[in-house]
Amino acid sequence: MALLEIRDLCVDYLMQEGSVHAVDHVSLTLEEGSSLGLVGESGSGKSTLGMAILRLLPEKTARVTGSAVFQGEELLTMPESRLRQVRWQELAAVFQKSMNALSPVHRIGSQMADVYRLHHPEADKAACRARVLEVLRQVDLAERVYKLYPHELSGGMMQRVSIALSLINHPRLVIFDEATTALDVITQGQILKEIQRLEKDLGLTRMMITHDISVVATSCTHVAVLYAGRLMEVGPAASVLRSPAHPYTAGLMAAFPSLTGEKKPLQGIPGFLPDLTQTIPGCVFAPRCPYATEACRTAQPPLESIEPGWQAACHHRLREVNNHG
Amino acid sequence: MKRYLLKRVTTGLLTVLIAIVLNFFLIHIAPGDPIRIMAGMDHPSSEQLEALYVRYGLDKPLLVQLGQYIVNLLHGDFGTSYTYNKPVVSLILETMGPSILLALTSCVLAFVLGTLLGLFAARHQGRWMDNLLSYVSYLFDSMPPFWLGLVAILVFASTLHWLPTSGMVNLRNPQQGFGYVLDVLTHLLLPCATMTLIQIPQYLRLTRSSVTQVMQEDYIITFRATGMSEKTIFRRYVLKNAILPTLTAFGISLAYVVAGAALVEIVYAWPGTGRLMLNAINRRDYPLLMGIYLMIAISVSVITMIVDILYAWLDPRIRLK
Ligand SMILES: Nc1ncnc2c1ncn2[C@@H]1O[C@H](COP(=O)(O)OP(=O)(O)O)[C@@H](O)[C@H]1O
Ligand SMILES: [Mg+2]
Repeated sequence: MALLEIRDLCVDYLMQEGSVHAVDHVSLTLEEGSSLGLVGESGSGKSTLGMAILRLLPEKTARVTGSAVFQGEELLTMPESRLRQVRWQELAAVFQKSMNALSPVHRIGSQMADVYRLHHPEADKAACRARVLEVLRQVDLAERVYKLYPHELSGGMMQRVSIALSLINHPRLVIFDEATTALDVITQGQILKEIQRLEKDLGLTRMMITHDISVVATSCTHVAVLYAGRLMEVGPAASVLRSPAHPYTAGLMAAFPSLTGEKKPLQGIPGFLPDLTQTIPGCVFAPRCPYATEACRTAQPPLESIEPGWQAACHHRLREVNNHG
Repeated sequence: MKRYLLKRVTTGLLTVLIAIVLNFFLIHIAPGDPIRIMAGMDHPSSEQLEALYVRYGLDKPLLVQLGQYIVNLLHGDFGTSYTYNKPVVSLILETMGPSILLALTSCVLAFVLGTLLGLFAARHQGRWMDNLLSYVSYLFDSMPPFWLGLVAILVFASTLHWLPTSGMVNLRNPQQGFGYVLDVLTHLLLPCATMTLIQIPQYLRLTRSSVTQVMQEDYIITFRATGMSEKTIFRRYVLKNAILPTLTAFGISLAYVVAGAALVEIVYAWPGTGRLMLNAINRRDYPLLMGIYLMIAISVSVITMIVDILYAWLDPRIRLK
């Protein structure tokens, strides 16, 4: 059984101007021990998807439908009391702006200890402290971080603190939302390596939300490409990134420097995200797609299998284009 | 923290020194011959003027005079009030007790009540209690303190006869022990309530908006994601973060009240420094006025210094700056 099974997930933000379809019928599967990179340009609904699974969207303004079954339990309708148990013991997260991830006027160690005690009420002060120091060590931070305040650390160190915090209650699944985006390339590389090492040691499953496809290339076993709230392509990272089937995936790859050091000019994708308050009849990427035809503008392409576990939603899949020409 | 403490105390002392120097020059900017004004009589004799000139050393260069003024201050010599015919220091000391009593009780009460109401409003945002509180707070905010004082006297003292109209003690009541305390408290009730009521709105609004802002911070989402209950998040993390701006307001308002309670003191004939100051202004009692200015300047800098240190103790980010 998959660790997390997302089916037809939709998120609409209810605004005065109308509702924003931020996530539109997305289905994804996360196998235990795998790491799924969720990519797409800014505004494509990645964070919304992550927050929906974590049940952190404001109930009044965000309408979530579909299902997300985690270890056999439905997350989206889970009662509050059960949700509080699942949170951080099973399902943890690392958020984007780690500099603000903790309260500025409390010591880092005491906040982390608070979170540990939440799920280990029997633990005494010394035990909490010991556990905090243990996870700090796991992310290569010195003991003295325990008694420091967030503003006394650099961005990279705070990111490690956030990761340490996510590990503190031994979760099964950790969702990283742009967890390395704000860091310089070197620190990002180090942290990605550490994350992978921890993952192996601790048997974690990871969802890695990022707009940087090179992060996926270096650290994920699987990739899901999101555009305007819809899933464009999903499959094993190695295969998808070797020969993307969807023109949008190819466009994303061209927009980032190659990690292998291969020098080629970077190409942006011309155009902008569509207005998400409108219901788009065809392919959401059609207005920006070089291969778009009339069919793309009128009929939404379904996700079709390319190989087992690899699917793309495109009328003109690049593999076929390549194969025929 | 130690370094911050040292720095803050130094700047505090510096502020006091600057206040002293400015105050000194006030004598020289005051219209007319300061000595004639200080003498305060229509036709002072030349011996009297001479004596004052020598006393204030006005025949010497300005800097020497300044030095002398500071030395005098250090000796506790603030000059003599001619309308009261008493040393300025003793007049101020006599009135400071009642003033501090009134200022401190009303400020602390307003801080506590205003903050509590603000927290309540923040937690009930948009509901009828919150709306009611904000209407009432605008109402009290727009009332002049002396007017509110007069209305309170009219209702509670003159009409209902529940409370005394003025003063701090009733000479017919016991002058010591529990009876005395009770007497002072009943006299304190109306002026204190007046000053508390006019200060509550600012804390209410500040706390409410501060809580709203803190609730949107990223760390609140972190704690929510960890499974911490909203109640615990609020108690442990929102409160301390949200209270910080309120604390600054408390310092400012305490300093302001030390200087600005005069009108309320007048209305209630409260024997405080504010009332003394108004009398000094009316009677052009310059030495007294200068002494009071200096006292106010010193209190304000000491209070803001204490609040700043308290703030730094609560907010580690301040200590670095
Ligand atoms: N709280 C919100 N209210 C309304 N619209 C939102 C809100 N958060 C995000 N959106 C909109 O939803 C879409 C997806 O946003 P987001 O999930 O943040 O994308 P990503 O993480 O991929 O950059 C964007 O169009 C964004 O403007
Ligand atoms: Mg995002």
